[in-house]
Amino acid sequence: MTPAPLRTDQLFVNLGPQHPSTHGVLRVGLTLEGEVIMRAEPDIGYLHRGTEKLSEIRGWNQLVALSDRWDYCNAMGNNLAYCLAAEKLLTVEVPERAQHLRAVMCELNRIASHLIFFGTFGIDIGAFTPFLHAFREREMLLDLFESCTGARLTYNYIRIGGVMRDLPKGWPDLCREFLEFFKPRLQEYDTLLSFNPIFLDRTKTVGHISRESALNWGVSGPNLRASGVKADVRKLDPYCLYAKYDFEIPVGKTGCCWDRYYCRMLEIKESVRIVEQALGLLADGPVMAKGVAKILKPAPGESYGHVEAARGDLGVHLISDGNTAPYRLHVRAPSFMNLQILQELLVGQRMSDVIAILGSIDIVLGEVDR
Amino acid sequence: MRYFQTVLNACADIGKGLWITLRTMVKPAITVQYPDEKLVPYPGFRGVLLYDAEICISCSLCVKACPSECIQLESRKNEAGKRVPKVSWYSLDVGKCNFCRLCEEACPTKPKAVWHSRDFEAVFSSREEMVRYWRKGTEYPGQWYDPVTRTYKPVAGQVSLQTVPERILY
Ligand code: SF4
Ligand code: SF4
Repeated sequence: MTPAPLRTDQLFVNLGPQHPSTHGVLRVGLTLEGEVIMRAEPDIGYLHRGTEKLSEIRGWNQLVALSDRWDYCNAMGNNLAYCLAAEKLLTVEVPERAQHLRAVMCELNRIASHLIFFGTFGIDIGAFTPFLHAFREREMLLDLFESCTGARLTYNYIRIGGVMRDLPKGWPDLCREFLEFFKPRLQEYDTLLSFNPIFLDRTKTVGHISRESALNWGVSGPNLRASGVKADVRKLDPYCLYAKYDFEIPVGKTGCCWDRYYCRMLEIKESVRIVEQALGLLADGPVMAKGVAKILKPAPGESYGHVEAARGDLGVHLISDGNTAPYRLHVRAPSFMNLQILQELLVGQRMSDVIAILGSIDIVLGEVDR
Repeated sequence: MRYFQTVLNACADIGKGLWITLRTMVKPAITVQYPDEKLVPYPGFRGVLLYDAEICISCSLCVKACPSECIQLESRKNEAGKRVPKVSWYSLDVGKCNFCRLCEEACPTKPKAVWHSRDFEAVFSSREEMVRYWRKGTEYPGQWYDPVTRTYKPVAGQVSLQTVPERILY
């Protein structure tokens, strides 16, 4: 008698929405065949706050405060993207000191954001110590932000026409002091996590994104660069005074999880360089353009501004109909685009690697859902 | 042979990681024992809003500036029914506030009639508590603000660790 053939059922597993590794409220519906994933469907919208719609009834100046809430790990980048778009509509000229300050703040915020990634990615893989180290350094960064802007997460610092206020006394020195402290820490991170053989084993072999599929899915930021595409808005379409700073764009080779991780670590180094240069170039001057009214009414028209935020190419499309609020505000959110590739990326991977891949994409659900 | 080599390498790398952990372990802690010790926020910290009805001229600029519509006020009227530049009541919903300082920036008086205090311990047990009313008799002056002398009381039981060297300690 021949034994009856083994009957296998496909299993449907819900990852999230309250899973500690989804960095927010994301649900991924996984269809499994044994341990191998056959289908993956990211289900988003749990954190939808309707900021795009809300923008249509709020004033131009007030929207900066709302933009903080898109990608709350990188609020300065959001402020900047919105302000760049609004300044194009209003044809405001931003003073030089404010431009440098914007660059300093955005790069520091990029460091803070990548530190969160470094810490939480370590936790996803099972290394807890790096998280504590990363948050120790991030705390100092937040202190720098707090003394300058008055807030620790949602800064509302970059305003249309400049920045909120000038640096407090002695801030550049505090910042330099921090950078000096921070640079040796990066080597420590490499020892702790980057070149740890267990970590390498877990991340080098999974989650490969090829150059073509990265481009096809519209992936941007470190995720795209890890696949070997040298695309960075700071170089391709320089805003502020980024053309003046000397920095490299780190690229990866294979587009595996480790490449995405290490691209970010190298980016932190470049950000440190940019901050140092920008602090050196700070000259006295106004930090706010003259003649920016409290209640703005730009002429009808459209504008698009984009910046290289910590998670990729963050763009803001504004349409004005000459009113006190935008007719339409659209956010091209990098996290949203990056998340979509999961549908393709997870298929064929094993269940145990899902978290590593999800973590390496580095999404912020506040930005995915807006 | 290669197997043992791999195991050895892995152990060596774990050792390196543990060495860093050990080095950090003998250093003084950088955390603060929160309820007993508290960090003093920097000047200009955007804490819970305070309001002074004596200074306010009831111009409604803060109401218009607020992105989350948490301020409401009503002007006082004199006997002839004309509005005078004083509020009869002013309410501020701390639960809706996103601590953005736009109202403080919009306020035309000097000193500001509405401003951010450095109070970060806003704890409420119900939504009604979050709405703070200023009306004759129900002033809420905040935890550390003395409305009579218009000064902040010294905050008790807080440590100040604010410069990077202080925070690093090594
Ligand atoms: S801080 Fe911002 S949100 Fe809060 S009351 Fe003032 S303007 Fe409104
Ligand atoms: S802006 Fe200042 S003065 Fe005017 S109503 Fe508000 S608190 Fe009062």
